[in-house]
Amino acid sequence: MRQKKMNLCSRILVVLTVVSMTVLTGCGGNETGASGSGDGNREKVELLNVSYDPTREFYAAYNQMFSEYWKEQSGQEISVTQSHGGSGSQARSVIEGNEADVVTLALAHDVTAIEEAGLIESGWIGEFDSNSAPYTSTIVFLVHKGNEKNIQDWNDLIKDGVEVITPNPKTSGGACWNFLAAWAYQQEQDGNDEDVTREFMKKLYQNVLVLDSGARGATNTFVENGQGDVLIAWENEAYLAMKEYPDQYEIITPSVSILAQPSVAVVDSNVDDHGTREAAEAYLEYLYSDEAQRLAGENYYRPSKETILQELSGQFDLDMNLVTIDDFGGWDEAYRVYFEDGAIFDQIYEE
Amino acid sequence: MYVEMRRINKTFDGFQASKDVNFGVQKGHLAALLGPSGSGKTTILRMIAGLDRPDSGDILINGNRVNDIPGSKRGIGFVFQNYALFRYMTVADNIAFGLEVQKKNKKEIKDRVEELLELVSMQDLGKRYPHQLSGGQRQRVAFARALAPDPQLLLLDEPFAAIDAKVRRELRTWLKEMIGRVGVTSIFVTHDQEEAVEVADTIIITNQGRIEQIGTPEEVCRHPQTEFVADFVDAERFEALMAVRRVE
Amino acid sequence: MQDQVEHSYQHDIVGDDIHSIRKVIEPHRDDADHAIKYILIGIAAVFLLVMLIMPLTVVLINALRDGWQAYKEAVMDEYTVRALQLTLFATVCAVAVNTIFGVFASYLLSKFYFRGRQVLASLIDIPFSISPVIAGLIFILTFGNIGWMGDFLKAHDIKIVFAVPGVILATIFVTFPFVFRELFPVMNAQGKDEEEAAALMGAGGLMIFRRITFPHIKWALVYGVVLCTARAMGEFGAVSVISGHLRGKTNTLPLHVEILYNEFNTTAAFAVSSILVIMAVVILIIRSFIERKRKI
Repeated sequence: MRQKKMNLCSRILVVLTVVSMTVLTGCGGNETGASGSGDGNREKVELLNVSYDPTREFYAAYNQMFSEYWKEQSGQEISVTQSHGGSGSQARSVIEGNEADVVTLALAHDVTAIEEAGLIESGWIGEFDSNSAPYTSTIVFLVHKGNEKNIQDWNDLIKDGVEVITPNPKTSGGACWNFLAAWAYQQEQDGNDEDVTREFMKKLYQNVLVLDSGARGATNTFVENGQGDVLIAWENEAYLAMKEYPDQYEIITPSVSILAQPSVAVVDSNVDDHGTREAAEAYLEYLYSDEAQRLAGENYYRPSKETILQELSGQFDLDMNLVTIDDFGGWDEAYRVYFEDGAIFDQIYEE
Repeated sequence: MYVEMRRINKTFDGFQASKDVNFGVQKGHLAALLGPSGSGKTTILRMIAGLDRPDSGDILINGNRVNDIPGSKRGIGFVFQNYALFRYMTVADNIAFGLEVQKKNKKEIKDRVEELLELVSMQDLGKRYPHQLSGGQRQRVAFARALAPDPQLLLLDEPFAAIDAKVRRELRTWLKEMIGRVGVTSIFVTHDQEEAVEVADTIIITNQGRIEQIGTPEEVCRHPQTEFVADFVDAERFEALMAVRRVE
Repeated sequence: MQDQVEHSYQHDIVGDDIHSIRKVIEPHRDDADHAIKYILIGIAAVFLLVMLIMPLTVVLINALRDGWQAYKEAVMDEYTVRALQLTLFATVCAVAVNTIFGVFASYLLSKFYFRGRQVLASLIDIPFSISPVIAGLIFILTFGNIGWMGDFLKAHDIKIVFAVPGVILATIFVTFPFVFRELFPVMNAQGKDEEEAAALMGAGGLMIFRRITFPHIKWALVYGVVLCTARAMGEFGAVSVISGHLRGKTNTLPLHVEILYNEFNTTAAFAVSSILVIMAVVILIIRSFIERKRKI
């Protein structure tokens, strides 16, 4: 009996060794197989789209649409892999080696960061229409049905006892837009007095209950975990929450908000390595087609094409008072002034 | 001389365990390495066995220098202080192990195991595991296991240390008798004077890595050559023991 | 003679056996002890209920909230299956590597004495004390594009971070000490006498390992492997940092659960979680079986 058991165990040991060998050599195979380069004539193309948090549903649908279109156009099978997370962290992962063919991020600054790392050629912002922003959105409030705390505008968020949920501008693009929208509101109220605005922002962030790392995390904190009274959210994210949880939430449109222009770009050095430039450019170009623009609308993004946007005037409040990033001197300027280490956001938050 | 140590030195991490050790043991003799703990006696035993290597000096067995021969080829049997029985093997498997390693045929192994079990009077306990045995029984298994491959030299490290005082004396007599019967040259390590005097033909007294004196029990006790030996050996006790021995 | 046998037999298993513990406690038993005993049992039971049983039940209930069909769809979903495959693959790799390493390391550290032995033993424990997130970042900073070996890896077309090798590497890292930690004390306690005895009889290294060392460590080894497997399957932090969240490529089951949850796909998230729970329960059963075996 003893003898038998021992044999069994030594057999297990042998099997383990063999398996580990196979596995290790298997890993080796994968390492080289994962990033083969090739030309445009391949049967099947793979693209990696590194995107930000709230675009999950939109791109899941769009990838389907695009692969049908591309098959018809070129006869190639295409499969698009998605990666989602906070816009800033996603940009960082691309810089660190996540081999995205295209990035579809929340703000131009994150794309610029990749450009500065040498992976995207400068001038990308003019590559596609509307400053390479195929869809836009804005910032709104999501509150619980009935709006018990009577939140109507930005100044209601700094009242005592109002619990605010917004993500961290350091990692989330959406959070940067949130911050700037609030800033724009207060600047308009007080005729551009920066000290008063800083005081206002300080109070606002004192009311923040949870500072998630990405927009979707913040949404989950609010809708699934029931934390807080108001979520400062992407308009599309707010609509999506309304759809997922009908009759539980209301959208409040503040008097002033910002036109958020999420940016898309081809990651030049990666598409050249992968031999996927043609498909990657077509992938982003097709975002501007009528059917893709409508699909964006269905996913609560505002199409950048004026004609399609007008079709959806029933869905979106097109009369909102929207400032743009240009009012802040463009993203590079805005990021430097507000979000860099030690800049205004840090000063406000640390106090 | 069957076993000879010549000018042996050994250092462990700056601690000198053997200093110019010289001695010999005659064929068929039973020698005791006697000394306080830390005096280097176990080191000497382990060097003879090939478990440790001397830094300098020669070890000779049967006239051949064995420094560079692995322990397994020196024709020795070794009984460890705690017997080091293979705990996942039966008594019979323990005894058979050395023979299996030598690739003896099954019949031969079986016969030899039975012979040895009989020698140590444990015929019925061959299927037991070490943890099912008493201390004395374990010692007998260890002894049988060491003898199985028919060694020319038997080395025993504190063979009685792990045994109750009550049975120790009984086992001592038994062991002496067994070694006599098998006729194998033996060296054992002990810190117990009484044990050495009672069992050994020759006593080698060690202190701080040196050999202090070599001689028969009588010589060592009645004519100590160094102050240390005179101190360490209790002459009165020796006389009492000798008296007992004569009576027996 | 029989007495002696009894005595030494008990002596051997004291400390390992529940009976010896009972013997210590029983003679002192009185009413106050009784009360304390039941209070402690009560606290433990409530704690287990709130911290373990309830959440696990919630997982299973939620997983089946939309019915069996929905559950099956969520579990059979292409991305779930791929995540499961990757999780199992990474686990097998981690277990294999760490088993081999653990056996060698504990053999080395328990049978040989050399300078730096202690340091080496503590080094192996590092993954226990480092946060998995940091572990992930370490690999990114080492193997990533802007990392230490980034240029070298790029030049040789080797992809580690944001790819399967990275996931495996991170899993190996966080489960590194498990097998070693189980084996080392057992091997250490065994000492080297038995091995020396066998060597003196002329047995070779492999034979010594197979017949002396291995029977002694086999249950500790299996136990270590089981713990390692459990940890590897559940790893989130390190893998999350290094994976790049590539759906269907570098997502393991725990990461996939997070993604589903983030997509408001609660039922599917719970359904996939239930796979992990079931695997954990299976491991628990194997574990208690081994624990019983080891006592013998």
